[in-house]
Amino acid sequence: MTSLAIPLNEAPTETVSKGRVPGNKGIWVGITCEFVEFIVLFVVYFVARAHFPDAFEQGADRLSRLSGTVITLLMVTSSFFIACSVATMRAGQQRRSLYWLVAGLIVSLGYPIAKYFEIQWNLANGINGESGIFFTVYYYLTFNHLVHATWGILGILWVLARHLFGGYSPEDYAGLEALACYWHATDIIWLVIFSFFYVLA
Amino acid sequence: MNDSIKQPSSAIAPLSSAWLILVALTLISPFLGLWLHGAGWLQLLVAGIVWLKGWLIARQFIEIELAHPFIRRVMQGFILFTPIMLLLTVFLGNHFARWATL
Repeated sequence: MTSLAIPLNEAPTETVSKGRVPGNKGIWVGITCEFVEFIVLFVVYFVARAHFPDAFEQGADRLSRLSGTVITLLMVTSSFFIACSVATMRAGQQRRSLYWLVAGLIVSLGYPIAKYFEIQWNLANGINGESGIFFTVYYYLTFNHLVHATWGILGILWVLARHLFGGYSPEDYAGLEALACYWHATDIIWLVIFSFFYVLA
Repeated sequence: MNDSIKQPSSAIAPLSSAWLILVALTLISPFLGLWLHGAGWLQLLVAGIVWLKGWLIARQFIEIELAHPFIRRVMQGFILFTPIMLLLTVFLGNHFARWATL
């Protein structure tokens, strides 16, 4: 009873209730802005879908489901590799952390490549930005996501360069974790886009 | 006292499990669209899968349960937004379209 009244005991409780900031505060400002931007874009999708339900029901049948699935697997796998890079860094295995990060970079590079082939396939099948409301929204959302993923890939390259020169340690890996959080957030956004255009027929 | 403070994990196994579930859900998803074409509850199922995938990444990869409440709320809010909007569009699509008409 008495110990509960001692102010010194309040400090750890407060630390637990506040929680930690994964990475750094700056990246969370960026991620929050990214979420707000995509919520606006998703509202555009929902408004268009509510107005043209038939176009959205038939649209997914004309897209390459294989491309959508491959991109999703690439995003999820690169996210996993980068999460492993953070985990092994925490465990003090810096070299392993570097290898996971390189694996994450290689897999993430598959995304723009798969997107290139998907667009080629679309164009060969007569699907462009003027093929109807479904495809206009599809190109708008997926290109926007590709831009964000490209920033993420550039971020991975920067973090990789710093990692190679010993810029991170088990005591200080905020930059690596910040990059990981951004990539995971971009991954979550893609998972939503995947369901919008490739699953809901 | 300090034993109760959870530290960020350095284990690979929980990350691997989450990744395997994400891969399985991804591989199943395109077939759901084909098998359940036109079924009303496909939307419900897809909304559930979208939420589950987002929750897995937020919980296992970002570790939001250890994060600051603001970060937790941002992540939980974003993950919930799409499934809720999906269901609203399915069940109240006409009202939503009328409301969103200029």
